[in-house]
Parts: sequence; structure tokens; C-alpha cells
Amino acid sequence: MNSKKKGMTLIAKQRAAGWIFLLPATLMIAIMSFYPMIRAFIISLQTGAGANMRFAEPIFSNYKRIMADKVFQQSIANTFLYLIIQVPIMLVLAILLAQLLNNKDLRFKGFFRTCVFLPCATSLVSYSLIFRSMFATDGLINSILIKLGILSTGYNFLGNSASAKVVIILALIWRWTGYNMVFYLAGLQNIEYSVYEAAKIDGANGWKTFWKITVPLLKPTIIMTFIMSINGTLQLFDESVNLTKGGPANSTITMSHYVYNTCFINVPNFGYASAMSFLIFIMVAVLAFINLKVGDTRD
Amino acid sequence: MKKKLLAVLMTGIMAASFAGTATSVYAADDDNTLTVWAWDQNFNIKSMQMAGEQYAKDHDGFAVDVIETSSDDCQTKLTTAANAGDYSTLPDIVLMQDNSFQKYLKSYPDAFTDLKDMDVNWDDFGKLKQSYSMVDDTHYGVPFDNGAVIACYRTDVLEEAGYTLDDLTDITWSKFMEIGKDLHEKTGKYLLTSEATGGDTLMMMMQSCGANFVNEDGEAYIVGNDVAEKCINLYVDLVKNDVVKLVNNWDEYISTITGGEAAGIVNGNWITATLMSTEDQKGLWQITTMPKVDDVESATNYANNGGSSWYITSNCKNVELAEDFLASTFGSSTDFYDAILPASGAISCYLPAGESKVYNEPNEFFGGQPIFSTIVEYSSHIPEFTKTPYHYESRECVNTAVINIVNGASVEDALQEAQDTLAFKMTE
Repeated sequence: MNSKKKGMTLIAKQRAAGWIFLLPATLMIAIMSFYPMIRAFIISLQTGAGANMRFAEPIFSNYKRIMADKVFQQSIANTFLYLIIQVPIMLVLAILLAQLLNNKDLRFKGFFRTCVFLPCATSLVSYSLIFRSMFATDGLINSILIKLGILSTGYNFLGNSASAKVVIILALIWRWTGYNMVFYLAGLQNIEYSVYEAAKIDGANGWKTFWKITVPLLKPTIIMTFIMSINGTLQLFDESVNLTKGGPANSTITMSHYVYNTCFINVPNFGYASAMSFLIFIMVAVLAFINLKVGDTRD
Repeated sequence: MKKKLLAVLMTGIMAASFAGTATSVYAADDDNTLTVWAWDQNFNIKSMQMAGEQYAKDHDGFAVDVIETSSDDCQTKLTTAANAGDYSTLPDIVLMQDNSFQKYLKSYPDAFTDLKDMDVNWDDFGKLKQSYSMVDDTHYGVPFDNGAVIACYRTDVLEEAGYTLDDLTDITWSKFMEIGKDLHEKTGKYLLTSEATGGDTLMMMMQSCGANFVNEDGEAYIVGNDVAEKCINLYVDLVKNDVVKLVNNWDEYISTITGGEAAGIVNGNWITATLMSTEDQKGLWQITTMPKVDDVESATNYANNGGSSWYITSNCKNVELAEDFLASTFGSSTDFYDAILPASGAISCYLPAGESKVYNEPNEFFGGQPIFSTIVEYSSHIPEFTKTPYHYESRECVNTAVINIVNGASVEDALQEAQDTLAFKMTE
């Protein structure tokens, strides 16, 4: 009776409390993420600048424009090339390093782990600049190659489209391998040592244990790192801007870099830039979805 | 206990940083203070502060509040504010690159105040310099630092190859190529260094002919543009013949100079500040005019690259004061220009200033040449050309074409691609 007077049962009260606790985060996400997304979509349907933005005629003309934009298409190709080459190499390296550093008998474990993780503590801009100077025609790498007698004069790494792409991929691998390794290390530590012991008793060698025990048990972590890497690579910006400026001849420009140029370097076209950003968003969503589906083995 | 202390500290820092952002109000409430965005502490900012001090002598309580904002940030902040339709965060006066202004005026015409009523004899500035900040016949900006192009050469390297500065003065690019090839063979050095992506060399060549990669109607004009084709072919030849060293970025550009790999530079005269920082090359450099394009009737030995002007934003509460301040300092005072030259090295494009004693003093770094008056003189000869809001787009397109041609693409295809890309970027 009492509870009726107050209008709420104990369970209803608890539920209400739950909602109240959820509210701040929900509101924040809605205001900070969903509202801008919706606004971006609306802007992507508009043309013009500043206060003179108006809806495009026809309404999807910005999206149509993407189909005709050769530079943007090139940036998509570049970005996917980075994705296809860099992400697998990086994740395999990360998992191998994690496996090595998870060795029970390894000494100075903390030191090695710190070393591998350290690149992630470097700012994106500064490491890009360091790579740029290292790979300059008179930079460190060329000096070493000349000293070793491999080259006679400095090779213009950043001036050649193939080698400039390789430099970006190398830079990305250096920067992000340690980051992914940490996730694998955490995953590995959740695998009971007794499982490995049992496998050993059954006569499995290192290779077999890795594929039959480590990889399946790490699967959720692997899927997570895959999604994060795909997401990160599709939004690649700093390396393209600072390492190569997108050059030579747009051969290393990424999608985000081109979006930025469209807003802030060229005559501002926020409508078109938003349309391109939305396309990137859709690509990330689709790839993440496929990834989740492929990785999900539950019936 | 420790955790508590940490928490208190963090809260304190957060509170402090919030307070910090809350107090940075841009447009000054005080009627007698003008806020200014400008970059470069020793150059633009110094000049603006000195202008403020000079004006304050006759105007009690006047002050300028210069907020250091890098050139890129000035543009990004302007774009952001203007696109949000909220000009209230803008300062009273903003410094802007000459090459960017047309783009801003096209996109955000109501972000700036026109200077129709300003009391300045505009013809005291070079015709070309004025045109950067003009639309139709209306002035929007007060020209400030000079962007006249100069050619700088290492006289010691020239001598080694058997040439003098006179051999490179008022010459054509074909002569330049001849000397450059010979010099590269004899010394292994390059007569010119140029940035591959985002480089200005090609733009300067075009401008020196009074031409641009757009036509008078503002359309992309690369294919079928005789001058453009000549300039691009010339530039490609220079690169292929080891006369020009093509570098990837500004660091490498500078290091070809400091490292002694380059025997020459063609760029806006602001490059002298960079040169003068290489103490060990003191006395080795001298300046002269840039080469001119062969077989083009309108070709000259003069062009402009870079440089900037002061603009009054539409957020300025006291336009009259701002106009009077700019007019009586940057717009008319040779005393002022004489004062800022030694203090900041800012070379004016106010032509009467070039006649003063300070401007005619010999410069030791450049082997005793009176470079300042020379530069001001050059700036009076620069031909006018059609401006476009799509300056950066056209630069990107033609530089891409050059790289593609150097890498083996056919000239015809590369030019067609540049034309198509530029035309595409000009549509909405």
C-alpha cells in the first residue's frame, strides 16, 4: 500500500535509478556524436559557403560529385592500399611480439614491453616529421645505405610514388604495432597456462599450440584490433599531411587529407567535404560489420 | 590520501583551464584597442606593434593587442568562424596571405569591411600588389609586406663555373638553362632549387608573363594556353637537365640552400631572411632579377610570390579608428617604414619608402648590395595578371602535371588531366 502511495514499486525505483545513471552518458553521446553526425549529413546535402549554404539541386549532387572526382578516387585507392598491406603485417607482427613477450621465463619483460609500446606515446605529427627527415635524400637512411655501399647517391624516397607509399606503411607499422601488441598481451594473459601444459603433454609443438590454442582463444581480441585498425587506417591523416604532403602528384594522399584540403586549403566546400566524410563513415561501418559477421562463429 | 590529493589537483587544473578559456575574449571591449591576428614575432607582429606605438603617440589611450596566430591558423580560424556564421570571434584586423584573400572574399564576402572610405593614395603601392586585395574596383586590404620575386645566386659558385652575376641578370630561361647545365657539369651543383608539391616556381614563371592558369572569365585555362604550355615545358626541361633540383618539402628546400647544394634560388624576397640566417655564407650571395620566359611577348623579369596585407574584419566595432590607424601608419608614413625595416626586416611595398636613406643602405650579407631599395624597385615592375580564388587548386594541378611528365607521362595527357581536374574543382 505504501509503495502505491508513492507511485513506484521498489523495482520501478531501481529501474528509474538505472536510467538516471545512464542519462548523462547517453546525453553526452547524443550531443557530442549523434547530433554532429546528423548535422554533417544535412550539410552533405548542401552547397555554398558560410551563411549562404543552401540545399543542393538535385539533393544528392555532392554524392554524385564523388563519382567524378579523380583525386578523391585516387585517395580511396591509396587508403585501401595502406589498409590491405599494412594492417595484416602489423597485426601478425603484434601477435608474434606478444607471444614472445608473454614467455614466462623471459627476463626484463617490463623493459621489452615498454620498448615495443613506446612508439605509441609519440605524437603523430612528431613521428611523421622524424620519418620525413630520416627518409630525406640526405637523411639518416640514405646516409646508412651509402656508407654500407648499397647506394652511391641518396635515393629520393619521398619523391617517388612507390617508395613514398612504402615509407608511409613502414611508419604506420612502427607507430601502431606496439599498440596492438598490448591488446594481445592482455588477451594472452587471460589464457590459463594449464591449457598450454595440457597441450604440451599431448605432444603439440609450438606451431600447433599457437594455431590451435592461442589464435582461437584470442579471437575476440583479434577481431577488435582488426576493427580498430581498419577504422584507424581509413581515417589516416597525420602521416599523409606531415610525411609526404600527399605527394608526389597525389600518390600518397589519404581520404581524410583530401577532405581537409577541401575545407581549409582550397576554396572551402563544406558540403562536398561532408559528403566525402559520410562515405568514409559508411565504408568503416560496412567493413566493421563484415568483420564482426566473419568473426562470429556462434550459431 | 595520495589519491585524494591527486583528485584535488586534477580538479584544480581543470578549473584553471576552464577559467583560462573563459577569459580569452577576442574583440576588445575597450573602444581604443584594436585586436590583431598576425604571425611571425620578429616580422609582422613586431611591425604591427611598432605601428601601434607610433599611432599611440598622437592618440591617447590607443593600443593594439596582437594575438600571435600562425598563417595557417589565421585561415583555419577564419574558415571555421565564417562557416559557422559567427564572426564574433574574429579580431578587428587580420593579416592574410595575398594568395588566399580572393578565396576568402569569394566564400565569405561579409567577413570583411571594404575600404572605400579610407584616406590612402593607393597608387603609392604597386599596381599588382593592390590587385591582390581588390575586387572589381573596391579595396579590401592595406598592402604590407613585399612579395617581389628575386633571384639569389652564390657568386662563389658562379665564379667557379666561370660566370658572374651580370651573366644572370635580365636573362631568359633558355640562357639560364645553358648556364645551369654547364654549372652542374663543372660543379655538381644546381642553379635552382624548387619544391615538387606545393612549389611556386611555375606560378612565378606564369606571373612574370602576366598570365595565369585561369582565363579572364575565371575558368581553368591550361590546355590551349600557349604561355602555360611554354612555362610547363620549360620547367620540365629544367628539371630533366639537372638545372633544377626538385625537393619534396620545405625542410629539404632549406637544406639544399644551407648545405650548399643549390647555387641559386628564385623566390619571394622574404627568402632573404632565411638566407641571412646562414652566417657562414655571408657575402657569398647576391640578388638580381629572375629569368624571363622565352618567346612570350608579355614576358618580364619580374613576378610576385607571397606577401601579405592587413584586412579589417566585419567584427570590427570601430572601423573608423581601424581605418585611420592603418592609413596613417602602413598607408602613408615613410618614417614608419624606415623605423620597421631595421627592427624587423619587413620590406614595404609602399613605393615612396624605397627612396629613403634606410632603404638604400648596403647590405653586408649580400656583398654590399642595397637590396631593400632594389626589391622595392622590382615590385613596381611586376605585371598584373588575372587573380583567381582557386590559386592553390591550380598550383596543385600544374605541379602534379609536372611530376607526371617528369615521370614519363606525355605532355598532352598530363596537361589535359590538369585542365580537367582544375575545371572540376572550380565547379560546386
